[in-house]
Amino acid sequence: MRLDGSAAMLTLPRRPFRVAAAATLTLVIAALIAAVLWAILDAATDASGGSRVDIPHLLRMTALQAGLTMVLSLLVGTALAWALNRLRFSGRDLVVGLFAAAIVTPGMVVAFGLLSVWGRNGWINQASGALFGVGFESPAYGLSGILLAHVILDGAFAGRILLARLDAIPQSRLKMGQSLGLSAWQRFALIDWPALRGSLPGLGAIIFLLAFTSFPIVLLLGGGPANQTLEVAIFTAVRLDFDLVGAVRLALTQIGVCSLVILLASAFTPVPSALSRSAQPSWRDSAPVRVLQWAVLGLGAIGFALPLLTVLYDGLAGGLLRVLGQAGFWRATGTSIIIGASSAMLTLALALMLALGRSAAHRQGARALLGIPAFAYLAVPAVVLSLGFFLLVRTIGVPVGTAAPIVVVIANSLLSLPFAIATLGPPLDAIMRTRGKLIRSLGLSGWTQFVRIEYPLLGRDIGLMLALAFCFSLGDLGVIALFGTQDFQTLPLMMYRALGSYKSNDAAAIAALLLIFTIVAFVGLPRLIERISHAPRR
Amino acid sequence: MLRADDLVFAHPGQGKPYGFSLEAKPGEVTAISGASGSGKSTLLDLMAGFIAPVSGSLTLDGQELLPFPPEARPVSLLLQADNLFEHLSAEENVVLGLPRGTPRSAGHQQVAEALAEVGLTRFEAKQAANLSGGQKQRVALARTLLRNRPVLLLDEPFSALDDETRQTTRELVGELTRRHKWHTVLVSHHADDIAALATTHYRITAGKLERV
Repeated sequence: MRLDGSAAMLTLPRRPFRVAAAATLTLVIAALIAAVLWAILDAATDASGGSRVDIPHLLRMTALQAGLTMVLSLLVGTALAWALNRLRFSGRDLVVGLFAAAIVTPGMVVAFGLLSVWGRNGWINQASGALFGVGFESPAYGLSGILLAHVILDGAFAGRILLARLDAIPQSRLKMGQSLGLSAWQRFALIDWPALRGSLPGLGAIIFLLAFTSFPIVLLLGGGPANQTLEVAIFTAVRLDFDLVGAVRLALTQIGVCSLVILLASAFTPVPSALSRSAQPSWRDSAPVRVLQWAVLGLGAIGFALPLLTVLYDGLAGGLLRVLGQAGFWRATGTSIIIGASSAMLTLALALMLALGRSAAHRQGARALLGIPAFAYLAVPAVVLSLGFFLLVRTIGVPVGTAAPIVVVIANSLLSLPFAIATLGPPLDAIMRTRGKLIRSLGLSGWTQFVRIEYPLLGRDIGLMLALAFCFSLGDLGVIALFGTQDFQTLPLMMYRALGSYKSNDAAAIAALLLIFTIVAFVGLPRLIERISHAPRR
Repeated sequence: MLRADDLVFAHPGQGKPYGFSLEAKPGEVTAISGASGSGKSTLLDLMAGFIAPVSGSLTLDGQELLPFPPEARPVSLLLQADNLFEHLSAEENVVLGLPRGTPRSAGHQQVAEALAEVGLTRFEAKQAANLSGGQKQRVALARTLLRNRPVLLLDEPFSALDDETRQTTRELVGELTRRHKWHTVLVSHHADDIAALATTHYRITAGKLERV
């Protein structure tokens, strides 16, 4: 019998519906992004008259802070991962969880905490004044403040990702190194570094993009036009200067640079998203090295936790009761929760459709195409996406206030999508890799495959994904900043407005509650969904 | 009779392609041996339908099987590991072998009978993750019983088992093959498995099957 001559692999179950649904969704998302870009380009073409925005300066400033953030965060992250990988102590899981939470901690809250610790009226300056009679120049404003806040968040994030790489080093390699009597430095150079270096370019690119598109931290700590970034300049141009021409030019610059970085980053090894459990230690370094590891870990933990603990203390001890008595606070809380829950559910639906379609696609090209929506956020950051939607709803004649809730939910979902796909994609691919043959040979239907196999095994990942999407939405300021009104505001926007009107006690209380909501959602949702789906811990 | 006639296949970048021909009789175990990387698992993948040959023929009692996708072939699989879904119970794993639409009560009865036949009475509720290696292989065999497919492909199914379990599982496979007239094809590099089970033995040398 003569066949088609191809040596096609048929190990995956045939799921044409899944692939078709994912392809349709990819087209819809691409069309939506295209419409947003068209709205921005159309505004740029129509715009007559000049603009006073200094794009080269903004670009220089944004690239400088993003580049420095990337380098410093990778250094801090590597040091933290190294220390955590070596040390074992009770409460270690809590510290690891704390660093893992960096990715969802609202930038507004960290910036506010930094001001409480290092600001002009921060307690370090107050303590210095009381003890030594002198204060000092606050490092919390300007470039140093921005870098400090970014490194706190991105360094902890990098530390958690790199720790997973170190924990995944095979025990056999460690045993070999230990039997050879490698020094701490040799161990790092010969065993740790080869495991880490593959992740650094991709991780560095992600940190660069996160810092390049950072909004709330720069807004709060930038301290004026000299330290503005493109993202903040877009917001300022639209909301404060009413300079739409400038905003559009800035947005196009932003998209161009981000796309370039993504193209460069896509050549690097992808960052592992699955966070493996830590292996048991079998090899302790010498006492002086361990002292150094404790020092690194202590500094890292204090640097990350101190601003957050200060936020909690200031918020709960200060204006909490006053804020709880405001009807506006409860409205903003309700709006935040509804927007967060809606965008988390939408993200889940979108990410599941895309990830199931990708894992079912036989051809590499199809898998690559179905992965494109994951880049939507990175190419079109929050404020730019928000600006595009803002222009789009104006163009099609829908009142901004009417469209606002829907737009904010959709925009937040698109922004969470890359993280959601990175969370659900690898475990789905792993199921197909290890059980694809079995599923296909048993002839299971797509529905049975999902309900009996994939859903229970994905339980914890679905919970983590929902938590990520909910927390991103809860802490978002970039999207709501353009669409928010007095009647339609979320907690971050209310906090920003409280700061703008010098109600710092109110801002502190909102920041504390925002932080508590974020922690509860980030810790609780994965466990809740895991329990509901009866998923086994992996 | 299960017959493969010059099934030709080459992995991308592979020089000389494989060309497999064999015969497997009902109620007998046909063993395939060969060095690592000689193509033993490739042969099973071809027979199961996970890869498509460039040319050749694969028939069961005269019916051509190559046009059928894996799920439609009269084939059951037993691999070295990963035969069960560990988050499901033994019963839930075995139920996956029942035809769609089987009534729940009838299904429950059939599962109990199949588990009893492989020596796992009252194991229905046990989670697969908590079963021993030998018990997992038995549960997979119970599912094979319910699937009622005349060809059983075994890919190093005893490799992960201790000596005692290996022997009892081997005996079970031989007994089920004879009782249900399966055409069982066993890929193994263990001479004692082959000696204990196989009626016919092929060895893969230079991409071809040679009868031993």
